[in-house]
Amino acid sequence: MREVQNVLEVKNLKKHFPIKGGVLKRTQGYVKAVDDISFAVKENETFSLVGESGCGKSTTGRAILRLHEPTEGEVLFKGDNLLDVGKRSFRLMRKDMQLIFQDPFSSLNPRMTVKKLLMEPLLTHKLATKKEAEQKAANMIEKVGLSKEQLDCYPHEFSGGQRQRISIARALIVNPKLVILDEAVSALDVSIQSQILNLLIKLQQEFHLTYIFISHDLNVVKHLSDRVGVMYLGQMMELATTDKLYENPLHPYTQALLSAIPSIDPKEKKERVILQGDVPDPSDPPTGCPFQLRCPMAHERCAEEKPRFIEKEEDHWVACHLYEE
Amino acid sequence: MKPLLNIENLSINYMTNKKDFNIVKDVNIKIDERMKYGIVGESGSGKSLTSLAIMNLLPEVLKIQEGSIELNTDSTKDLANISKKEMRKVRGREISMIFQEPMTALDPLYTIEYQLLEVLKIHKTYSKKEMYKIGVDMLKKVGIARPDQVMKDYPHQLSGGMRQRVMIAMALICQPKLLIADEPTTALDVTIQAQILDLMNELSDLHNTAILMITHDLGVILETCERVAVMYAGQIVEESTVEKIFEEPAHPYTKGLLSSIRSLGNKSEELYSIPGNVPTPDQYQELGCRFATRCPYAMDQCFNQEPLMYQVQDDHLSKCWLHVEEGRANERSSERTRS
Repeated sequence: MREVQNVLEVKNLKKHFPIKGGVLKRTQGYVKAVDDISFAVKENETFSLVGESGCGKSTTGRAILRLHEPTEGEVLFKGDNLLDVGKRSFRLMRKDMQLIFQDPFSSLNPRMTVKKLLMEPLLTHKLATKKEAEQKAANMIEKVGLSKEQLDCYPHEFSGGQRQRISIARALIVNPKLVILDEAVSALDVSIQSQILNLLIKLQQEFHLTYIFISHDLNVVKHLSDRVGVMYLGQMMELATTDKLYENPLHPYTQALLSAIPSIDPKEKKERVILQGDVPDPSDPPTGCPFQLRCPMAHERCAEEKPRFIEKEEDHWVACHLYEE
Repeated sequence: MKPLLNIENLSINYMTNKKDFNIVKDVNIKIDERMKYGIVGESGSGKSLTSLAIMNLLPEVLKIQEGSIELNTDSTKDLANISKKEMRKVRGREISMIFQEPMTALDPLYTIEYQLLEVLKIHKTYSKKEMYKIGVDMLKKVGIARPDQVMKDYPHQLSGGMRQRVMIAMALICQPKLLIADEPTTALDVTIQAQILDLMNELSDLHNTAILMITHDLGVILETCERVAVMYAGQIVEESTVEKIFEEPAHPYTKGLLSSIRSLGNKSEELYSIPGNVPTPDQYQELGCRFATRCPYAMDQCFNQEPLMYQVQDDHLSKCWLHVEEGRANERSSERTRS
């Protein structure tokens, strides 16, 4: 039964980028951007991937859509393995999976009017005639809080928040099942950010969407998500429901990450776990647990053996030797 | 005692042959010695321009229209009205600045040693050996583990956090009286941000340096500053101690900003959001309050008369008409007790 509920299942996904060097451009090594991660996304939920820059969260999102062809693993979308599908038929499937990017300034073609931008996906996927597409564009633009009069404007005439609204309209116009939001609100100002988040929540309910929300902003993730996966150096460190993760973070990395968010309540003076050092070079990751070099709780075993990803309690997975029997 | 930095009625205009409009208007800021002062605002609020004006680094098209920027160190200088030669003596020695993007602020063609010691070479008269030693000590102080190695490195060999540490070392090496930090941690990850803020706090206490922190992140302000000015559309709308701003915000914009962040923690609620968009300078109203179009409390008066700065409490200023009108003011205080 469980299989039916899952819109998306990612199994042992790997994406290794070769490092080429020398005169002959031989492969000298690999950057393991995503290294063996698995998770499932249920229908109608918001699943978030968090982590610092370079942890592989965006690569995961792109690998799911095959914008980066995965090295290994399976991506099951409603039961079909996306990686087995030929390029042409995959293109047809892609309308069910849309991606919204961080920077609304570079993701919209400056030479197209909003109307053209919105009609383009419908016409490419041959989902509507030109007339129908025009009608749909007009409907969609009102759904995202802009007006029909703005259909003939060009992207540069809009502010950042409005452009992000257009990107959202463009992604949703083909009626997708799954939307991957890659840092979709990170470039926006605080007062605009909350407008867009409200819009995303409203549209999710209206269109029965499933979101994969990729972000480094832990406050936003807390507000939006049902479940959260924490990534570090291409690996999943912890995965739990939002409440469990924020109230009872198990992995030392998650604990440090949560304590590093600057508090906005003057009364709340929290114990800080300040991590030493930087994220290691992903082309030369440490042996054993990827976090062991910065971990305040590291012991000998962490350097020798990679911890397994275990379900510590219901719906709460963690990869850390502290929790292995 | 005179404050270390005293900005009075600073206005900055955008001026070309065709256009002339006001961007920053009537900014008043006083920073005492050793004080940690924050300016918070959204993009386009004029917070960075204010800091660039202090450093005399405004782009050609932007001109200081009015006001003074008084710096009181050994002598008193007006930075709004100073020769280039004089200013060169101030930069790096009395006031220094760190920027958001450490990769663009460091020159990729020179080693860290060259860039770090350049400031000393210009302002002080040490021998080469002494300078090198001061440089290494400074790198140690900013928490760099292998200072001798890093001195020989080029910027691209360092990580983002390390580069920002080098920037801080460069900024503090001449022991300036004031450090301006323009979004110093925005480009960094949260765990690195925590390290850098910690370091800045520690070093400013050690060297008795005042900090002017420019950021869009209220969390960073609470973490580092004592006083804060909230800027919106080129004006300071509220100014007080950090505690007062966070606990009893007076201006509708500050309130809105705080509510939208605070409701983030609350999943069941719809997020509070300020309607509308941040105006661009050509949309600023000639008359009236610049926030009026987005303000839930806006009255007729707000659209045709610019609000004055009111003292709402001791040491707490807010630029809003609400504070005059008795009825409204009471309503707000009852609202405060309810929450």
